[in-house]
Amino acid sequence: MCFNSFFFLFFFMLINYFFFVYFIMNGLSVFFEWEIISFNSMSIVMSILLDWMSLLFMMFVSLISSVVIFYSKSYMNSELNLNRFIILVLMFVFSMVLLIISPNLISILLGWDGLGLISYCLVIYYQNLKSYNAGMLTALSNRIGDVMILMVICWVMNYGSWNYIFYFDFMKNDYVMFIISFMIIIAAMTKSAQIPFSSWLPAAMAAPTPVSALVHSSTLVTAGVYLLIRFNYLLIDMFFFKVLLFLSILTMFMSGISANYEFDLKKIIALSTLSQLGLMMSILSLGFPDIAFFHLLTHAMFKALLFMCAGVIIHMMNDIQDIRYMGGLSLYIPLTSLCLNISNLSLCGIPFLSGFYSKDLILEMVSFNSFNLMVFILFYLSTGLTVFYTFRLIMYVMINDFNLMMIYNLYDEDYIMLNSMFVLLFMSLLSGSFLSWFIFSYPYMIYLPFNLKLMVIYVSILGSILGFMVSNMGIYSLNKLLLSYNLSSFLCLMWFMPNLSTYGLSYIYLNFSQILFKNIDMGWSEIYSGKGIFNILKNYSVFYNIYQMNNFKIYLFSFILWFMILFIFFFI
Amino acid sequence: MNNNSNKMFFLFILFFSTLISISSNSWFGCWIGLEINLLSFIPLISNSKNLLSVETSLKYFLTQSLASINFLFMILIKFSLLKNFNMNNIISIMMNSSLLMKMGSAPFHFWFPNIVEGLSWMNNFMLMTWQKISPMILLSYYFNKNFLIFMIIMNLIIGSLGGLNQTSLRKLLAFSSINNLGWMIFSIMISENLWLFYFLIYSMMISMMISLFFLMNMYFMNQLFINNMNFFIKLNLLINFLSLGGLPPFMGFMPKWIIINFLLINKFYFLIFIFMMTSLIIIYYYIRIIYSSFMFNYFKMKWVNLLMKNNMSLINLSSFISISSMILSTFIFM
Repeated sequence: MCFNSFFFLFFFMLINYFFFVYFIMNGLSVFFEWEIISFNSMSIVMSILLDWMSLLFMMFVSLISSVVIFYSKSYMNSELNLNRFIILVLMFVFSMVLLIISPNLISILLGWDGLGLISYCLVIYYQNLKSYNAGMLTALSNRIGDVMILMVICWVMNYGSWNYIFYFDFMKNDYVMFIISFMIIIAAMTKSAQIPFSSWLPAAMAAPTPVSALVHSSTLVTAGVYLLIRFNYLLIDMFFFKVLLFLSILTMFMSGISANYEFDLKKIIALSTLSQLGLMMSILSLGFPDIAFFHLLTHAMFKALLFMCAGVIIHMMNDIQDIRYMGGLSLYIPLTSLCLNISNLSLCGIPFLSGFYSKDLILEMVSFNSFNLMVFILFYLSTGLTVFYTFRLIMYVMINDFNLMMIYNLYDEDYIMLNSMFVLLFMSLLSGSFLSWFIFSYPYMIYLPFNLKLMVIYVSILGSILGFMVSNMGIYSLNKLLLSYNLSSFLCLMWFMPNLSTYGLSYIYLNFSQILFKNIDMGWSEIYSGKGIFNILKNYSVFYNIYQMNNFKIYLFSFILWFMILFIFFFI
Repeated sequence: MNNNSNKMFFLFILFFSTLISISSNSWFGCWIGLEINLLSFIPLISNSKNLLSVETSLKYFLTQSLASINFLFMILIKFSLLKNFNMNNIISIMMNSSLLMKMGSAPFHFWFPNIVEGLSWMNNFMLMTWQKISPMILLSYYFNKNFLIFMIIMNLIIGSLGGLNQTSLRKLLAFSSINNLGWMIFSIMISENLWLFYFLIYSMMISMMISLFFLMNMYFMNQLFINNMNFFIKLNLLINFLSLGGLPPFMGFMPKWIIINFLLINKFYFLIFIFMMTSLIIIYYYIRIIYSSFMFNYFKMKWVNLLMKNNMSLINLSSFISISSMILSTFIFM
């Protein structure tokens, strides 16, 4: 099953690649329409839009999913129901493809809901308590986005059809479009885990690592960004885009800080994903959809690779995800650490790896256009924080001493996993330049002063030095976190926002329902029905029994008494 | 009755006496039938070796003879003082009272649970079914509607409330019999045909249950919780109890349904309320009996062995009849 789906998806990727090259070179875009039913004046039409953006995204999605399925053949080989897992992943890919190619809202809804539902099934795959809680958080946060898209469907019916791409040019200043844009932005924010809804992404790391590699790095969380890119013509002058800018910049900053306090390997990578998502959303809301798309694709490559390396490391560490137990792995697992290093450096934006092209272009566009001080500071600060936590991670995992056990055997030569990582490694090295040559038919004109141009490098060097110094631990090192406990817990726990989604929502209702249950369900409603009536009847029955248990002569005499009374009434 | 020709003889006279009583031309003949009924029932229930049954037969004799004497007296007063057929007077109340006492209906029912406690199951079956025929038919000849409705309500309430606190199966069936008497007396007031229908179904259900208890020799509730009972016997018990309580898919719902239909059409709303609520209480204590025996799993007692009896086919047939007869009876009208 693994091999079959791997080959199928790989060839699908190749087909998409060739069509993408053909379409973008010739400037083609194809719009298929399939009329399902036409009845009087109503017709149901299923439409598919294939332009270079959807083909490129489909190519990347199928590449990553084929590699992940091949990887999970070895990663999940002790799983009894592996076919179930593969089928879930394939359904996920199908929903994603449906979302990518659809120009109308109903098929977007099908893909969107499918994504949410299947990501829930995949997050709860291990079926323990933590997975259940994480799955519930994921599903319910995504559900808000589903509701928003449903409402958008309702509102778009004002225009007569659900093919939204036709209405952007004509209806821009309409009140209906205002409402629609608001709801679309909220839907994208839930899916891409921006600030009010950001609690599900670190929690969803309870999923198996291939799932995290596929879902939480490249496909599910970028669906929101993709939706906004599609709707970009509508949203570009609206007020909500500025709100989105503010929230996404804060997301980027917050997750960068929180990743510095984390010690769980997958959570660090999840918060790094969150930070890059914030970056994508912010550059999108600044008005550059193609750069956002570019960063989406390159980020997918190296983040999936990073998750897969994390999976190999977790397997080797006997399923321990805590980085304090790891160390010095670069000596023992050279190939995996090669992949890990390249993806980490690509994440930081080290020159001429794939992440550099997209990230550097973003930062230069932010510097070149005139935005306000907060945008500027937070962008550069977040870039520095990215380097900070990356170098801290590399120090803990690769360079410091090995902390797990006295006797160990670190086995790297699982070539199924390694080969799948090499594919992504190749793409992670080259996709930056390759995509920039394809997507941007002419380069952006950017003219910056010398120090501003080097600002990226200054921030990166600062971040790397800080990352090195923070993780320099010895036996006698103090835990500086305890000195600033309140501030540290605020920054570490994602500024206490997950409590809004979890404890804060349920506390009031659970408390209230406890009061109701104790006082009404087990209290008054028992007295007025159930036990109360039973007690009344029982007392009556006991009372009756006093009359029943009597002397026999009393019965006979009472009969005679009755007759005497009747006689008296009759004969008087 | 183990090949006892005495008992057969008295049984024959018992049947015959009821027929005399209900088919006679004059009230005097009715009274004669009632007397012969009493006289032939006493030898059936008395067993001189057993002190309890002697005492029971004596109690039965005392109450029934008192009622018969009163009945005779009221007949004579009616003949001598009243020359009309108006049923709403005090003589009819007094005649009805004596007949009610013969039946064991409230408010003159206090002898009924006592006596039922002292009889064996087969004698109980006679007492609860056959002995009710002639007083009820005599009741239908001359009844006072207002008095009877009051008595019906008392029957229902006492039948339901009295049974709540019982553990003896005989007393439980006695109180349920009192409750069903309420339904039956009301059906007399609707139509005699309906009474016959109700009575036949009631006696069929009672016979199934009593035969079940007789086969297993069970007299008290704690004997029900024997795990060695065959599953089908337990199932039959469950179905019969529910049918007796009047639960819809079973047979016992049908006569109650017709009576409720009549009550609704003629707007007897208060009476319907009392019928329904007391039925609920009755079903509650039936279910309380059977759910423990049916659903809980007690430890198996090795020294009591209730295997499949020889006449399982009868038990299966009775279960089948209880379950399906209500639906099959609609096929009569096709």
